[in-house]
Amino acid sequence: MGAYIEAATALASHGWRKPTARRLADEAAQACLAHAGRQPGDVDMLINTGVYREDSMGEPALAALIQEDIGANLGRPPTGGHGTFSFDLINGTCGVISAIQVETGFLRSGVIRLGAIVTSEVEPDLRDPGTVPFQPAGGAMLLGWDDSPAGFTDFCAKTFPEYEDLFVSGLTWQRRRGLRVPRGAAGRHQMVIDAKPGYEGRLADCAEETTRRFLRRLGMDVGDIDLLVPAPAAPDFLDPLRVKLGIPGDRVAYVTEDLEGAYTTGLIAALQAAVKSGRLGEARNTLMLAAGAGITVTLALYRQALP
Amino acid sequence: MSETRGKQPDHWLALESPGSGDRGGCWIESVGVKLPSRTLATRDLMGRTSHCTRIQLERLTGIHERHIVGPGENSFTLAAGAARDCLAHSRRQASDIEMLINTSITRSRGRSSQSFEPPLSLYVKQAIGAAQAVNFDVSNACAGMLTGVFVLQDCITRGEIDCGMVVSGEYISHLSWNAAKQIRSLFSKQLASLTLGDAGAAVIVERAPEGSAGIDVIGFTTLAEHSRLCLAFPSTVGPGAQMYTKSRTLHKVAIEDMAPLVAEAIGEAGIDLADIDYLIPHQTSVRAIRQGTQAFARRLGTKPKHVVVNLEEYGNTSSTTLFVALHKYLEEQRIHKGDRVMLLALASGIEIGMAIFTIDSQVERYGRVH
Repeated sequence: MGAYIEAATALASHGWRKPTARRLADEAAQACLAHAGRQPGDVDMLINTGVYREDSMGEPALAALIQEDIGANLGRPPTGGHGTFSFDLINGTCGVISAIQVETGFLRSGVIRLGAIVTSEVEPDLRDPGTVPFQPAGGAMLLGWDDSPAGFTDFCAKTFPEYEDLFVSGLTWQRRRGLRVPRGAAGRHQMVIDAKPGYEGRLADCAEETTRRFLRRLGMDVGDIDLLVPAPAAPDFLDPLRVKLGIPGDRVAYVTEDLEGAYTTGLIAALQAAVKSGRLGEARNTLMLAAGAGITVTLALYRQALP
Repeated sequence: MSETRGKQPDHWLALESPGSGDRGGCWIESVGVKLPSRTLATRDLMGRTSHCTRIQLERLTGIHERHIVGPGENSFTLAAGAARDCLAHSRRQASDIEMLINTSITRSRGRSSQSFEPPLSLYVKQAIGAAQAVNFDVSNACAGMLTGVFVLQDCITRGEIDCGMVVSGEYISHLSWNAAKQIRSLFSKQLASLTLGDAGAAVIVERAPEGSAGIDVIGFTTLAEHSRLCLAFPSTVGPGAQMYTKSRTLHKVAIEDMAPLVAEAIGEAGIDLADIDYLIPHQTSVRAIRQGTQAFARRLGTKPKHVVVNLEEYGNTSSTTLFVALHKYLEEQRIHKGDRVMLLALASGIEIGMAIFTIDSQVERYGRVH
């Protein structure tokens, strides 16, 4: 028995309206539910893993707002029935795999029957815009449980704190300069993202080391991996990683051109590409890999029994 | 990974009954707290509002004072301090921690008033020497710590890990200062910001030793129809955040909708509300807690033996309130071995969570030495 992927949807910002992280997550979640033929009320647990939002809201969890927007179990709680539990999980690019691990656990213990993971980001208000590409995008995936031997079987997370300063982001207070308007703003919080040169190369090194250890622990090697679903999709990370691991390009799920700059949505975008091309369905062993600030590397092995 | 999946009960709450030691369950092994040494009296805070408000905050909320950070203190130092205190009360070493979840709403560290990447949990695990732990942050407003415990106990019950830590450092007094600049009357939506105090808390959850009592039931739900009753975001008035709360509506919804959820949890535990020795609710105001308890008693026909209120000296410390209160009662030896405790989280979202557990030998590590 295992936790399997019911659907995965990623979408880039479109239309004339300025994108918001909430709207992108809402649209992705609704499209994902429609694709899976599910109702919002079927979702027992909703985890949002997006990091950068237009308003950097501290509370409530964005997941609760998304739950309301998509209309998942909004009624008053009777005894019995079933509700939805929503919260945010923050782990940068690795957040989606961390959330898959959490929901796989709750599916395995029977606490939930259907889990949703949503993520989105918009370009934050940067002091130094253009230094870090963030493409507005949203993604969602649904995890169910069935009696087949398929599903997520193993997870791994490793951090390399010696590289913790290579990518750092946070809000800093900027006092307003010049004349102060009575009752006007005294200043504003601005997002500062400090990405050091060579960050993506180090990501590739750490990802390779973690992948080899993980596969060794499972008694596997790189040749046993039929499909690699990686994030981020940046060539400075992915190309050296692929070469180091010796995985040919036809065993890698690349995101479509319109989602190349997606951040936390990147993994779901790659997964969607693999589902659409039919390659996920043909892969016996799929390795999902995410690497991000920390440096943190997370891995998930998704196995399927093929006829 | 062991298979613990059983029949799926029909609950409104996402609910788990990990059971006690003889059933392979888990328990709260230790609790740690870090309180800043500086305190701020309600009288002094209200004396620094920009407008003459005439609000009698202490009479209204029962809060006499709260702890506030000093120079060099922030969310990270509070979280790391609490984690160290938790380890000092524990039989475990930092190297035993297999998963560390930071759950604070505020994540100030260094120059950042709110850090985003890397997650704060990474810095905390490095600070305490738990480098091997899997780490991530959870953000779920004031229900964050109990959400972290919910995630950890599931991993432990299934056998994925043996021991984990949930930590939170809430540097939230800046919301009070920002509110003090703007608040004009009792009806301000920023009134709740004046009740906040700073604190760090940490808790170790582990597989319960055989034969010992542990977590009976833990569950959560989100009443998202009311998700916009309390919103907090970066301030333009000063460093930190501003929070806007429709307190009366939030209180009304909580009282109406919490009772059936409490009934569900105590029903799953096979007990009655009267079997709860200590109910520790989210600490907002004395009046709100008293009214809520009375409403439970009316609807459920019974009431817990004691309701814990520690607002007078700490105020509302956000995601840490439940564990700051539990820690205080353990240190003061007011809770004894065999007492049944219920933690009741209420947070913007609206998030409602609860955990019922029985105190066991962990009580012996509090009070006498520390």
